[in-house]
Amino acid sequence: MSELTFLPHFPPTFGNVVVVALILLAGLACGELFRRVLMLPRISGYAVAGLVAGPGSGGLLEVQMLEDARLLFDIALGLILFELGSRLDLQWLRRNRWLLASSIAEISLSFGLIAVVLLALRVPVLQAAIAAAIGTASGAPVLLLIIHAQRADGPLTDRAINHTALNNVFAVVAVTMLLSFLHLEYRAAAYLVVLHPLYLLLGSMLLGYLFSVFLVRFARWLGKREDLQFILLVAMVLLTVGVAKALGLSMLIALLALGVMARGRDARRDLLPVEFGATAQALFVILFVMTGAAVTLGDLATGAWVGLAYAIARMAGKLLGVLSFAQLSGLRLRKAALLGLTLTPMSAIAVVLVENTAQYYPEFGQRLAAVVMSAVLILELSAPLLTQLALRAAGETHPEAPWS
Amino acid sequence: MQQRGHRANTVARLVRLASDRFMTTLPFATSRPYTLGVELELQVLNTRDYNLTGATGDLLALLRKTAHPGDIKPELTEAMIEISTSIQSGYGGLLAELHGIRQAMVREADRLNLGIAGGGAHPFQKWHDQRIFDAPRFQHIHDLYGYLAKQFTVFGQHIHVGCENGDTAVRLAHLFSRYIPHFIALSASSPFFQGVDTFFASSRLNSVSAFPLAGHLPFVSDWAGFTEYFEHMRALHVVESMKDFYWDIRPKPEYGTIEIRVCDTPLTLERAAALATYARALARYLMEKRPIEPSQDVYRVYGYNRFLACRFGLDAEIIDPYERRKRLLAEDIGHTLTNVALFADDEDGASALLGLREVAAQRRGDSTRLREHLQQTKSLSDVVRWAAGVWMQGEQTAPGS
Repeated sequence: MSELTFLPHFPPTFGNVVVVALILLAGLACGELFRRVLMLPRISGYAVAGLVAGPGSGGLLEVQMLEDARLLFDIALGLILFELGSRLDLQWLRRNRWLLASSIAEISLSFGLIAVVLLALRVPVLQAAIAAAIGTASGAPVLLLIIHAQRADGPLTDRAINHTALNNVFAVVAVTMLLSFLHLEYRAAAYLVVLHPLYLLLGSMLLGYLFSVFLVRFARWLGKREDLQFILLVAMVLLTVGVAKALGLSMLIALLALGVMARGRDARRDLLPVEFGATAQALFVILFVMTGAAVTLGDLATGAWVGLAYAIARMAGKLLGVLSFAQLSGLRLRKAALLGLTLTPMSAIAVVLVENTAQYYPEFGQRLAAVVMSAVLILELSAPLLTQLALRAAGETHPEAPWS
Repeated sequence: MQQRGHRANTVARLVRLASDRFMTTLPFATSRPYTLGVELELQVLNTRDYNLTGATGDLLALLRKTAHPGDIKPELTEAMIEISTSIQSGYGGLLAELHGIRQAMVREADRLNLGIAGGGAHPFQKWHDQRIFDAPRFQHIHDLYGYLAKQFTVFGQHIHVGCENGDTAVRLAHLFSRYIPHFIALSASSPFFQGVDTFFASSRLNSVSAFPLAGHLPFVSDWAGFTEYFEHMRALHVVESMKDFYWDIRPKPEYGTIEIRVCDTPLTLERAAALATYARALARYLMEKRPIEPSQDVYRVYGYNRFLACRFGLDAEIIDPYERRKRLLAEDIGHTLTNVALFADDEDGASALLGLREVAAQRRGDSTRLREHLQQTKSLSDVVRWAAGVWMQGEQTAPGS
């Protein structure tokens, strides 16, 4: 027997490659079942696959495996954040100031309503504030994926993207700033209270700026070739994620800044609009499965009701916010209501923001997760459908696009 | 061109009564001779990659709430919008009204983050991406013609010239048929279609030719003859109304005009107004100086001349049916513009006609300019962005012009 050295040890150890394959297969199967049996968008199925298979519910995937596959999650999220930033149309905001008013209303109302509801449910003040700030960000991955899959295009789609971009910028900056109070609460040194949020904010923006200069120049040199520019984009997203992590900066702020500043610098429009091919779709399945896997049954047990209240307050705030300035910004009320629905998703960005806080104060992060992650799960199940229905009802989806 | 409310109704009722016996159901409304009206079909664009976008409904909803001159209406597919002027008597008033309509449209388009552009075809839209505008008439066209309807997402200028009666309209339509290549070549602005260079100056008219009722007026000699033809076609169940004919020039009895429909929508309002002025001056020249008489020979060379003008634009060599010889289209245009210059009615109109002569002499129409722009930028999306700038901000202030 001893000559059969080519046989593996029993049981064999499987590497990351197999983990990624399993994530993809589980997501694919579950997404398809959701589509066919429940008539819900596949995205919801991906998240549930993550929840069932994830470590938080004793599934096959272990924490270490997820960390090993993290790079793929980061690339996917990076592509989304870059596109979100690059589609924020500042010139339009300047021409139509009511859009900005509508954004501010939507952000402050959702922040306010979530905070009030959480405080009423006896959630501690700082926890409620951070959870509310996280809640202002609407789910860019869900929105952009559905827009791409449905080939949606039109004034409502443009507005949904602009609102999402602005509220994500607000959320990541606000959460970063609230870090000061978190440091205070845990009696950290005074310099930490001031310097850390500043370092995160300014450092990440500087990083985004430098890479955006490089990106636009490189793209101009490459010329208008979609395929080549996509490779460049993946490289720049990886570079931003990697450098931000190495320098202890905020990956979210850096990526958003990269997108916004690249567009700002690109007056000649050398950068082509981002088109995701089939390969990118695989990355997005991983993104959603891993978002689901970040939710634990423990969170759900303690936070389900609070999460539900949170989700409802958030939705009400966003809806009221966009309705209040709808007509002034040139939107019919019906369309404004539909716009409100497209802002309901909540996704990977919330997960990363929770993680960021947990990284410094794990015990606080756990309590925060119980509230936020329950809401994330509830909205992963409901919001993709609402978003899709809203875009279809607005008549901005492609006539032949199949249901997502 | 005016529908004179009460009187017209009475006339219509009398005619309907008479029609049982005499089969005449096409009353021709009287309008002041040589008055003008223009319709322009325009492209509604997103500002991300400047593809067509189905936002006409949203744009119209905003425009309905603001006062503006002229009329703004939906067209067959959701990324098309049509503007039309009221009845005008010359270049200055026409251009001023067009500017007024543009101002309102640009203001509301800005609020919605939309671009608006001229041009006979969108360079890279895919026809099957287009949605039929939700109105019974457009749905009917889609049901009847299938994919031809969505393929018809092209953008034309229609010029109405007032006629005092139906006989004049028929005569003028026959005389104008000789000059159809002029209007095609001077307006041609659809060199790109579905993402490729078609090698045509105007590819748009090929989308029109696909329809079974496209073509030209039959060679009838007067309004009675035309009415008889129309009634016959109706009795055969080929058509229900004049709208069913997709002719290049068609009488519009309810307006009291003939309608010239071969022009691509030019890139600028100035060109659109100049073309209308040319039509008006030409009509006066043809009716008052009587240089030619209607001839069936015009229709024998018609289809081929039309193709040559579409394909080669101002570089075409067409066939003159009266002199029975080939001649350079650009020279023919220059020659005719000189003849009609007397009828330009004011200084602005005269300088507009001079401008057209210049375009013909240099052989540099809108389709040439679009091609030049592609050469510079290598991107059809950039070409449309430039065209939208030219239309929305006017020629001088647009970037990169």
